[in-house]
Amino acid sequence: MEFGQFLAALTPLNLALALFGVLAGTVVGSIPGLTATMALAVLVPVTFAMEPASALILLGAIYTGAIYGGAYAAILLNTPGTPSAIATTFDGYPMAKRGEGDLAVALACFASVFGGMVGALALLFLAPPLSKVALAFGPVEYFWLSIFGLSLIASLSNGNLVKGLAGGAFGMLLSTVGVAEISADIRLTFGSQTLIGGFGVVGALIGLYCIPVLIDLVAVPDRHLKVEENVKAVRIGDAFRIAMRSKFNLIRSSIVGTLVGILPGAGGSVAGLVAYSEAKRTAKPQQKFGEGEADGILATESANSATVGGGFIPTLVLGIPGTPPDAIVLGALLVQGVRTGPAMFTQSGSIVYTFIYGLIIATILMLPAGLLIGRYAYKSIVTIPKAVLVPTVGFMTIIGTFSIRNSVSDVIIMLCLGVFGWVVAKFGFAASPIVLGLILGPIAEQGFVQGWTIGAATKNLFGMFFGRPISQGILAFTLITLILPLFLARRKKKANMEQAS
Amino acid sequence: MIGRILGSAAVAIAMLSTVSVTTASELSGPVSYVIPFGPGGESDISARFQQPFFKEKFGQDMVISYQPGGGGAVGWASLNGLNGDGQTIMGVNLPHIIIKPAQKDVGFTTEELNTFYMFHYTPDAIVVAADSPYKTLADLVADAKANPGEVTMSGSGKASANHLAQIKFDKLAGTLTTYVPFKGTGAAVTALLGKQTKAEWGYTTVGAKQGDAVRMLAVAMEERHPLFPDVPTFKELGYDMTGGAYRGIALPNTADAATTKMWSDMIGEINNDPAFRQQMLDGGFAMLDIDADGMADFMKARVEEYLNDAREAGLIK
Amino acid sequence: MKHSSGKAGGQFGSLIISAFFVLAGLVTLYDTLSYTDRDSQVFPQTVAIILIICASVSFVVRFIKPTDNGGFGEGIWWRRVLLILTMLATCFLMPVIGFLPAGVVAFAGGLIAAMHDRWTLSNILLYWGSGAIIMVVFYTLFKFALHVPLP
Repeated sequence: MEFGQFLAALTPLNLALALFGVLAGTVVGSIPGLTATMALAVLVPVTFAMEPASALILLGAIYTGAIYGGAYAAILLNTPGTPSAIATTFDGYPMAKRGEGDLAVALACFASVFGGMVGALALLFLAPPLSKVALAFGPVEYFWLSIFGLSLIASLSNGNLVKGLAGGAFGMLLSTVGVAEISADIRLTFGSQTLIGGFGVVGALIGLYCIPVLIDLVAVPDRHLKVEENVKAVRIGDAFRIAMRSKFNLIRSSIVGTLVGILPGAGGSVAGLVAYSEAKRTAKPQQKFGEGEADGILATESANSATVGGGFIPTLVLGIPGTPPDAIVLGALLVQGVRTGPAMFTQSGSIVYTFIYGLIIATILMLPAGLLIGRYAYKSIVTIPKAVLVPTVGFMTIIGTFSIRNSVSDVIIMLCLGVFGWVVAKFGFAASPIVLGLILGPIAEQGFVQGWTIGAATKNLFGMFFGRPISQGILAFTLITLILPLFLARRKKKANMEQAS
Repeated sequence: MIGRILGSAAVAIAMLSTVSVTTASELSGPVSYVIPFGPGGESDISARFQQPFFKEKFGQDMVISYQPGGGGAVGWASLNGLNGDGQTIMGVNLPHIIIKPAQKDVGFTTEELNTFYMFHYTPDAIVVAADSPYKTLADLVADAKANPGEVTMSGSGKASANHLAQIKFDKLAGTLTTYVPFKGTGAAVTALLGKQTKAEWGYTTVGAKQGDAVRMLAVAMEERHPLFPDVPTFKELGYDMTGGAYRGIALPNTADAATTKMWSDMIGEINNDPAFRQQMLDGGFAMLDIDADGMADFMKARVEEYLNDAREAGLIK
Repeated sequence: MKHSSGKAGGQFGSLIISAFFVLAGLVTLYDTLSYTDRDSQVFPQTVAIILIICASVSFVVRFIKPTDNGGFGEGIWWRRVLLILTMLATCFLMPVIGFLPAGVVAFAGGLIAAMHDRWTLSNILLYWGSGAIIMVVFYTLFKFALHVPLP
């Protein structure tokens, strides 16, 4: 970890690559359907001609940028550009709707830079010890983590818990469609070849979040987003003040993001949801999460950006990639002749450290780049006439969904889900619980089946599910998250009644 | 059996070296190489290894894309609908393309896939963590016999190469172990390293990737893997078990014979590059050279072998 | 599932959707009977039962205590339908006539659906022109920069 590697990351070429990577990644991430995985896969051959360290800096910068870029579409179009930005829609879109999209974009940028730095610094200084987190998480822990994530349904169902739970359960059923991930059955396809691949998360997100927005947009002549009288480009000052005020939220969410990022079975979407849930649980009474609360954006965006650095920890230390983009970077490393795994920090240390410094530089560059792109993204979304905005976004959803698996049927499935989501949302079945079920369903199922198999084999099922310390911890948090609001509400009611009498 | 394969491979190499390969001019631009899985698996890594050699030898970019879904079924079911002009190829995996269509209608059959080259396989191996009490395979077998069902072994998916190997070995050794399916080799290795399971049914690639963190107890090869001279084969230990997961490449079945031949020759040429072979062996892979001409015989033997195994294991009827 | 956006709609729609979810749960339970592996049955069965219970409760509550919440609200139906139908048409046309020509259908549909102002010559030229540019740019980006095999 010498200074030399830091300087090596600072060559003009590497700086230019980092800047280009962040810009390109942000654009890629902001287009729903275009994923960091796809951009990285295409760019890997380009990097063969480069120095290994430069190549890695470029790949890392694109990844960093893409995770941040996902926030734009989430805030301005209610459509997570990447699955990581799901929870950004909860407060980002309401905020944009009431005319504060500029503030939301700036908040997302600050949060992303902060979270990205925390994740990258953890990678730099704490990688070997933190990699143990990935190993400590067994099937049962993943199971309980997914249950914790699902507990968010309680607060996302717009006041109708039963409907929210039904939506979540329906989402989980959707996640089982197709060839089962770890058992070999084909489920719920009813003989259709189209459904064998199941409901892809990205396509489902586009359908459930974006199509309803478009359907509502065309139906009435009002503007897409409310515009305040004097549009300031991007409210950097306000955003910075809010971010500073919420520094504990930022720090907590970044740590959550780093830790969840380390878990190979989780990823940015889960990190965002967990951080959001925690921010909501510890909220002050006057904060209204789900209606455009700044802390909601800060929590999600810092957490999902922290997963970038966090995710590289098991990738580099254990040779176990946490997310698809990590896997591509790992593949690029292998082709470059870099051995990952336990010995890597000692054997290929210089490349690895240059890469980590590159990641840090890319994260810092994200501040000016993000604010700049954010300014144009916001301005163009509010100024483009609706008659152009709607078909453009519609066209993007089609091309984006198609390119995930080069499949027309995925686009049709996306559209059908979209119409379905729009209809049910009109009657109190919100889209978010369905999405939560879809994302967390497979984690819950695999964790449960594996945990059960191991528990039954060792004849200790109860101990397997309830006896492990990390599981107990997650379970405790889940119970607090679920019960505390009820308790507080009751106390409030009582107080009100006493006051009234 | 692997010996036979290697034997015929040697013949293939001899034949290849006499035929000059000047077919690159027929490619009309970047080639799309579809991996029907997500990135990071053995299929992806080996394709990544091929990528620079392809560019260097034939001057065209090889663009790798991922089309995951249905354990590969989505990709393979779509393969024959793609353009057969030779600009698109797709990775294929055994036993997946044999077992899946035999279980249920998944939109393709083994025979429909125009597989033109099988370029490597990853031999099955039993892997344990470095600090595991199982020093040798005998330790594991003894424990499994003393405590039936209590030896948990992680592996990638069900009805997969790992799962078939586990069932086969249990039968050969007269043991009862518990197979815990995970989503991909990466997750199975994580479970092993995290002590969630006592051992893992994996491949030699796991040993190459994890280095000192793991110990392989035995590998399912005819002879020891050059990278692991100290790891015995199952055969040496008295279990007649060889095999693993085979990987190859297929064209849409609309491709004409000349295109198929061109591709078979090109992949063959990469496969015979000493630098490529070395890279693959260092990664823990075992090389295989089954070209388009030898494919029918090879597939026939594999289909018979895998279906037989799967039937005995009760995975198909 | 298309009924008028009246006040009674809220009540009616909720009942239909709840019933649909119950049905989906029952279908799932039936489907799981054909699985060969116990591991693939447990999860869908559990979830289906949860779904049936929740959807039934929702159904019963709505039945006993009708409320007017919900409904499709204000808005012009032909625009919504046009948008979705043209996007669907694009999907079916794509393999036949190629991605870009098919994309024009969706774009045109979306444009007409979302056009609430008066058509003037200048905005016709401007909108259709910018539409063409946007589509060509995206097509080029995906097809040639990202190597997506668009038909």
